[in-house]
Amino acid sequence: MTFDFLDSFLITGLFSVVMVTGLALLLHLQLGLTRIANFGVVGFWGIGMYVFGVLYVKVDWSFGDPYQFLVCAAIATIASGLAGLLVGWLIADLDTDGVLVVTLGFATAVQLVATAQDDITGGARGMGGLDFPFDIGKVKDNELLWLGFTMAVVAGILFYVWRVHRSPYGRHLIAVGANERLARSLGKSTSRTKLWLFVIASAAMGLLGAMNGVMVRFLDIGNLGIDITLAAMAGLILGGTARVWGAVVGVFLTVGVFDIVIQSYLPLPREWYTQAIPVMREAIFGLTLIIVLLFRPYGILGDMRRDSLMRKIHGR
Amino acid sequence: MSEEALPAVLEVAGLRSGYHGVTVLKDLDFTVRNEIFTVLGANGAGKTTLLATLARLIPLTAGTIRFQGEDVSALAPYRTAARGIGYVPQESGTFADLTVLENLKIGGMIGQRSREERIAEVFDLFPVLRKLQAQTAGTLSGGESRMVACGRALMQDPKLLLLDEPTAGLSPLYVDLFFDKIKEIHETRGVAIVLAEQNATKALEVADRVMVLSLGQAFAAQDAAEVTTQQLKEGYRI
Ligand SMILES: Nc1ncnc2c1ncn2[C@@H]1O[C@H](COP(=O)(O)OP(=O)(O)OP(=O)(O)O)[C@@H](O)[C@H]1O
Ligand SMILES: [Mg+2]
Repeated sequence: MTFDFLDSFLITGLFSVVMVTGLALLLHLQLGLTRIANFGVVGFWGIGMYVFGVLYVKVDWSFGDPYQFLVCAAIATIASGLAGLLVGWLIADLDTDGVLVVTLGFATAVQLVATAQDDITGGARGMGGLDFPFDIGKVKDNELLWLGFTMAVVAGILFYVWRVHRSPYGRHLIAVGANERLARSLGKSTSRTKLWLFVIASAAMGLLGAMNGVMVRFLDIGNLGIDITLAAMAGLILGGTARVWGAVVGVFLTVGVFDIVIQSYLPLPREWYTQAIPVMREAIFGLTLIIVLLFRPYGILGDMRRDSLMRKIHGR
Repeated sequence: MSEEALPAVLEVAGLRSGYHGVTVLKDLDFTVRNEIFTVLGANGAGKTTLLATLARLIPLTAGTIRFQGEDVSALAPYRTAARGIGYVPQESGTFADLTVLENLKIGGMIGQRSREERIAEVFDLFPVLRKLQAQTAGTLSGGESRMVACGRALMQDPKLLLLDEPTAGLSPLYVDLFFDKIKEIHETRGVAIVLAEQNATKALEVADRVMVLSLGQAFAAQDAAEVTTQQLKEGYRI
């Protein structure tokens, strides 16, 4: 089988869609179900990416790949999970404003630390030396296989989120989001439920970060800006925060349009791609957020169950 | 009196609580047995504050709350719920995004008995809810959502139920229905009930004992049959 139609732009674009979809799905659990606006997605993702990268490149492992990858990625996942534990604990009793400040502050702190500790992270110069945990021939083949692995992980996340929706744990998350005060008198600790959510979601964000490190093979603190948080948030909110498929639909319509359609299929001058388009992308994602929140706060797919349910009840 | 022989479910001593340094409840002492214990009082008397304090949603600044002999004054609300205190707040007693059935299920997160059995009991108590079970709670009428809130609390198999003005704003027909249901819950399930009410006439019909709250202070609890109009007037400061 040949994948000639897949040039490296298209693979990168697809990878970016898959990556942001994964993050948006996890954000959906926090923002869509539990109404916790986590603006620090990039922080957890970045910890995963950098912990993985530094361990992979700087530590002298006595064994090679794929074990080296697996061990480093596992540690990176745990590190992000622990960061989730810390942030989850900090925001336990905060309102929306407080959560915004703490999560945004956390993400900024991660970027500052990665910049300042440049003897470890490479700082502004960046850090190379990462590679795929396998070699099946050409770079494109490796990238394609890695895209497949990442898709599998994101499919796993999708399945987990889908299961959570139907589980008592998911109901508890929705209850906490809908009426936290009342949820506190339900007989199960709401703080523990929220903390667990942050640990799991952050750990998975960390794993995605590590996988991103492998794909880009070069760590750059420019990746630790607000871009990816904004992309995940814009996609999720456009698709519908309350629905499992909201993240998938929304990210295709935002990141997909920019990183696949515009990058690969529009005959635009090459220099646009390095200068104008990234800036336009941020601006349009931000604008999308504002417009959707103003005119259709539940996104394309609509409110949790209300729309379809009311149609069923009233026969409309 | 035979009631005196019943063991205390809830013992409150020297209770003070309020908001941000403002003391609303001032040194309340009372005991609730397995009975319908009604707290009467005008707007702002402190009924909601009292029930929320008993549900441990508002911290106390002094005094103790003992539930079935155990000091629960410092427990987290979910722990008192797990021990058997069910709470139906005055407002927003349901989870708007969840369906009626899901509201009941989430109430039944704790408890030993089969959840299906408990759900069936709630539907027997409030038959309307059976038809509404797939509807989101946020779209219910006022009376319907009170039933869901009450059913949700009953799903916890509570030994003590705190009901905060369950009939406020309901039509007379619903009010009668609700008071009947409260009596039924107490009599058939043996649940002790603390009922906050403004509607003195109705409340006195179902109550075993009454405590009148006025500006955060209580006139001694007494048998419902012995409450005089004069005492009510003093309580309500009419
Ligand atoms: N969150 C709050 N912060 C500050 N003060 C409050 C708060 N909630 C209630 N209060 C005050 O506490 C007092 C008692 O209020 P509470 O709600 O307990 O009265 P209530 O007896 O339940 O009245 P109603 O019959 O109107 O429900 C009132 O003076 C009220 O203004
Ligand atoms: Mg009140």
